[in-house]
Amino acid sequence: MIDLIYLTVLLPLIGFAINGLLGPKIKNEKVIGVIGSGAVGISFLISLGIFFELLGKPAAERHFIVNLFQWIKVDYLNIPIGYQVDPLSILMALVVTGVGFVIHVYSIGYMHGDKGFWRFFAYLNLFIFAMMNLILADNFVLLFLGWEGVGLCSYLLIGFWYDRKFENSTTADAAKKAFVVNRIGDFGFLIGMFIIYLTFNSLRFEEVFAQVKLGGIPESTFNMIALFLFIGATGKSAQIPLYVWLPDAMAGPTPVSALIHAATMVTAGVYMVARTSVIYASAPTIMMVVAVVGLLTAIFAASIGLVQNDIKKVLAYSTVSQLGYMFLAMGVGAFTAGIFHVMTHAFFKALLFLAAGSVIHGMHEEQNIQKYGGLKKYMPVTYLTFLTGAIAISGIPPFSGFFSKDEILWYSYANAGFAFWLVGAITAMLTAFYMFRLYSLTFEGEGRFDHHHVHPHESPKVMTVPLIVLAILSVIGGFIGIPEIFSGSGGNQIKNWLDPVFKPANSLLAKHGAHSHFEEILLMAVSVAAAAGAIYFARFVYLKRKDIAESASLKFPGLYRLLFNKYLIDEAYDKAIISPIVKVSDGFLWKFTDVKIIDGLVNKTASLIESFASQIRKMQTGVAQFYAVIMVLGIVIAFFWIMASL
Amino acid sequence: MSLESVLFYFFAAISIVTSILVISSKNPVLSALSLILNFAGLAGVYLTLYAQFIAVVQVIVYAGAIMVLFLFVIMLIRPEAERNYFQERKSFKMLTIGIGVIVLGQLMFLIISGTSMFTSGGHSEQSLEVGTVERIGWELMTSYLLPFEAIGFLLLAASIGAMVLAKKKFE
Amino acid sequence: MTFTVHDLISLSPVLLIGVGILATLIIEMLVKESEKILGWFTFVLLLSVAYLSLILLDHTALVFEDKFLTGGRVNIFFFLFSFGAAVVSLLSMEYIKKAGIHFGEYYIMLLSSVLGMMLISGATDFIMIFIGLEQMSVCFYVLAGFNRRNERSLEAALKYFLLGSFATGFLVFGLGLIYGAVGSLSITEIVIGYETLKTSPLFLTGTLLFIIGFSFKIAAVPFHMWVPDVYQGAPTSVTALMSTTGKAAAFSALIIIFSPIIQAAYPSFFTPVISVLAVLSMLYGSIVAISQNDLKRMLAYSSIAHAGYMLIGLAAWNEKGVSGVIFYLVAYTFMNLAAFGLISLIEKRDLRGTEFSDYKGLGFKQPVLAGLMALTMFALSGIPPFAGFFGKYYVFLSAIEAGMTWLAIVGVISSVISVYFYLRLIVVMYFDNSDEIVMVTPSTSAMLGIMISVLLIIIMGVAPGSIINLINSTF
Repeated sequence: MIDLIYLTVLLPLIGFAINGLLGPKIKNEKVIGVIGSGAVGISFLISLGIFFELLGKPAAERHFIVNLFQWIKVDYLNIPIGYQVDPLSILMALVVTGVGFVIHVYSIGYMHGDKGFWRFFAYLNLFIFAMMNLILADNFVLLFLGWEGVGLCSYLLIGFWYDRKFENSTTADAAKKAFVVNRIGDFGFLIGMFIIYLTFNSLRFEEVFAQVKLGGIPESTFNMIALFLFIGATGKSAQIPLYVWLPDAMAGPTPVSALIHAATMVTAGVYMVARTSVIYASAPTIMMVVAVVGLLTAIFAASIGLVQNDIKKVLAYSTVSQLGYMFLAMGVGAFTAGIFHVMTHAFFKALLFLAAGSVIHGMHEEQNIQKYGGLKKYMPVTYLTFLTGAIAISGIPPFSGFFSKDEILWYSYANAGFAFWLVGAITAMLTAFYMFRLYSLTFEGEGRFDHHHVHPHESPKVMTVPLIVLAILSVIGGFIGIPEIFSGSGGNQIKNWLDPVFKPANSLLAKHGAHSHFEEILLMAVSVAAAAGAIYFARFVYLKRKDIAESASLKFPGLYRLLFNKYLIDEAYDKAIISPIVKVSDGFLWKFTDVKIIDGLVNKTASLIESFASQIRKMQTGVAQFYAVIMVLGIVIAFFWIMASL
Repeated sequence: MSLESVLFYFFAAISIVTSILVISSKNPVLSALSLILNFAGLAGVYLTLYAQFIAVVQVIVYAGAIMVLFLFVIMLIRPEAERNYFQERKSFKMLTIGIGVIVLGQLMFLIISGTSMFTSGGHSEQSLEVGTVERIGWELMTSYLLPFEAIGFLLLAASIGAMVLAKKKFE
Repeated sequence: MTFTVHDLISLSPVLLIGVGILATLIIEMLVKESEKILGWFTFVLLLSVAYLSLILLDHTALVFEDKFLTGGRVNIFFFLFSFGAAVVSLLSMEYIKKAGIHFGEYYIMLLSSVLGMMLISGATDFIMIFIGLEQMSVCFYVLAGFNRRNERSLEAALKYFLLGSFATGFLVFGLGLIYGAVGSLSITEIVIGYETLKTSPLFLTGTLLFIIGFSFKIAAVPFHMWVPDVYQGAPTSVTALMSTTGKAAAFSALIIIFSPIIQAAYPSFFTPVISVLAVLSMLYGSIVAISQNDLKRMLAYSSIAHAGYMLIGLAAWNEKGVSGVIFYLVAYTFMNLAAFGLISLIEKRDLRGTEFSDYKGLGFKQPVLAGLMALTMFALSGIPPFAGFFGKYYVFLSAIEAGMTWLAIVGVISSVISVYFYLRLIVVMYFDNSDEIVMVTPSTSAMLGIMISVLLIIIMGVAPGSIINLINSTF
């Protein structure tokens, strides 16, 4: 079964090929949808089979490498197309194909009637293909290939409705922004990869990590590697300072936001850090950087989310914030907790996005929450599932978000200190607040939409069933990671599962003093209470005393505007970086260097060669005797050479 | 100088002179006749080198069969003396002759400087045996079986090719 | 001399093609309108030979009194010849109908030339190389002149024949000198005695003439003069065969004699000669190709340049270079097959329509063909990630490793120049326009052949590592 791992990569590619090449001819949406979803569904089943096969093996033996073929081979550089099957990669594969499958099915309903239906499914399948390469790669180069592949798909899908307006510009601009910002991160990743190759003479995980474990390499080298890889991660996973593309990425269709910009692609950076945990564990300074960046991103994005009015924008900032949590976990050495949060977040954030999509669908493409209200009686399934997701993300037990978030908060406290915990807990509180602001404004209270023109309706089954599936997962998904204080030693299933992967990193990390169970339970209780309080407060403000919200925004107009305008970061980037570059490139590089110097040189050389060429082509007279003479002349010269060198 | 050597140089001289005649005479019939003589001279050279079988084959097949066919064709077609490329370009002709002489000189230099390194042994007894029909037949059927078979295919391809280029069906 | 079953099995690709030639002959004679089935028969036959060669890759055997070797690298060449020729037979079917040369003999000559190539690549004796070369050449002469009603075709055949015989004369003379120096024509004997032979003028002159003889076949400057006229005049499907597998066969001959000497780590005496040939071919080919207006002629010059790149691998005089050349040959074969296949589809009934101006606006009139052509041109110019890039890459790398960085630099410069004329076609196809209608011969078989070639170009660009490993494993 494990040998079949390549099928999980190949099937989406085949799906892409069929839909991409024959899509316009097939035309039938059902066929296209079934091909697209089926490819991912079967991949999921295969992943599941491999998962159970791994489960049946002893923990130490759960690691396989399936080499498909030799890709690049030059001296030491030996890069196969090889897939690595271990607890981490198979867990990610399950999440990607599982959630991916659900979202594919949902898309059949959501994209119904779109003229680019086939194109959409082709892109989605291509995305799954690239993502699976990223996850399963057994070397940095293949990982990078997947990394670039998902970036490309993200670009294609953000700009999917390239002819539509988005905010003040077009979706194509949003796509471009995502691509460019990602490229900056990718550049860091590439440099990191080069340093790895220079240091270890290899780019295969197994060989690199084995050498890391041997030691003998200065910490400064590890710091460089870890830092540059992390720059790559901030680009892909939307962390400070490269997070700006993700909110704009909401220009794409909602299933894309759910799949790529919430559940899977944006967690690639987290996955990469977890995969290279040994390197990070050898670079404690950078671990601290990761933790701080994650923490700052978490609270920063959450604060922006408080005042946004676009339903997808709120969720986008929420995603940025939750990704911050994951990096916080990585930074404090809680790799398992971070991956655990990747998984639960995939469930509830995909759910929230799809439910939001369902709302948007039912409200005739309206995205402003100020124009919603009282929708729960119109769309009961969406309402219930959205509520589930909101509770899960707020961290209320026993929903899945509670377990993963609490684990992260606990490790921040235990490994990094009280301040980290405090900021994390405040972020959790803010999260609960903005989620229930969103929920209250959308589903509760009076409808604030034009009842004559807008008739909210529940979405078809093909969309609601995926919602229900994800809602169930959001509820029960956390039970695989019940903290050991409740489940007893060895009771945390996901920890046991991932332990072999992170053991080398954990053994390198400094051991922290033991903390009492009392502390853990106390902190847990405080954070849950804070979240519950925030929920109550949000409902109170936005349902009963609307005046409070308005008077607050009037009382602190500066703060409100700062938050509403997202701290003016986009504008600052534009002024400080983008316009100077444009000026230099337009005025100096293009009009002078390119046109005058480079083009001039190239044209001169070309015309020179061309005139030379037409001169010597005259030698081709077409007379065989002449040709023979030329041949003999060659022989004469060769003979002279041989006579001279004897 | 032994008789063998005398004969060798005699036949060699015939070959050289006639081969020059082949390319220099303007009358094609004369060229063909010179070529026959050339082949005969070569046959003589073969003989002095103890390659009796090849010498005989040379006379029977080349000088006898092929060249007679050539002559027939030439007589039937009666080609007029075409103006050739070199007649129009005298200086070019001189150049080609000059180059030819240089190549000749180079080759002679190389071969002479090469052979001086090796003492040419007189294995005449052995050579005598090698040249016999029996010996050649034996070799062809054992160690040179593959070249022998391969030449079969080569001749097949050549004859089909000749037909393709000549037969009416293909018009 | 005894044959074992193992010997027979390892010889089976050669035997099969020999039997195939005879079978084709009989079918041609007995069956009415045999030309209709012979195309597919040839294709299937060559395909099975290619398959046999691949599965017998590790069936090494030295047969016929050490005159012939099979297995390993030889079988890679077998595969290349037979598979390349199989693609050519696909390309030929409709084309020779269009050209009015739809005769069964065409396929007999095609198969015979493949047999010749195989004899060359498996030879361990100069005699065999020579016979194989003659077999191949005779077939090529005939095939080049197959279109008897077309003056250019006849002219091409005659020129090719005359100059080819001239080159063969030097080659045979070289063999005579080698025999004089060694007392044998067996390559094993030469390698054994190489220590004393490498100072012998006779041997060196002989080998030099041998190299020159084959330089003619691989179209290296200054022995290239026949190439543009013949490539242009010969039927396009024949040009496809000559320029790909024919060149590969000539290279295989050079590899046969050099490879054992390289492996024994003897220093190279001929590196200067080969380097000069390489530099001249690369620069001359790329520069003159710029001023061509005929696509077939342009590809002829490009094939001269490609011969130069491949010679770099031989000049490097290391094993990496040799395997680089083999890789390059495979890549080059399928790139050229795709290019000539596409040309043969667009060519008109009177065999005109191969000029650049005939391709104006093809990108809009025939998007599929133009797309494939563009891809092939990209591959030929060595733009990654197609096969052509890795071919050049491996060859240049071997030169750098051998301390001949300058050669690699000349190669890169020449590649840069060559981009100009390859991309010129793309520009013509996509940025020019004309109202003339392009008539494309509808041919499923040719499309199949082109698709196979393009697919291989892509695969070799995606997974060059596996292929170079396979080639390396045959040392």
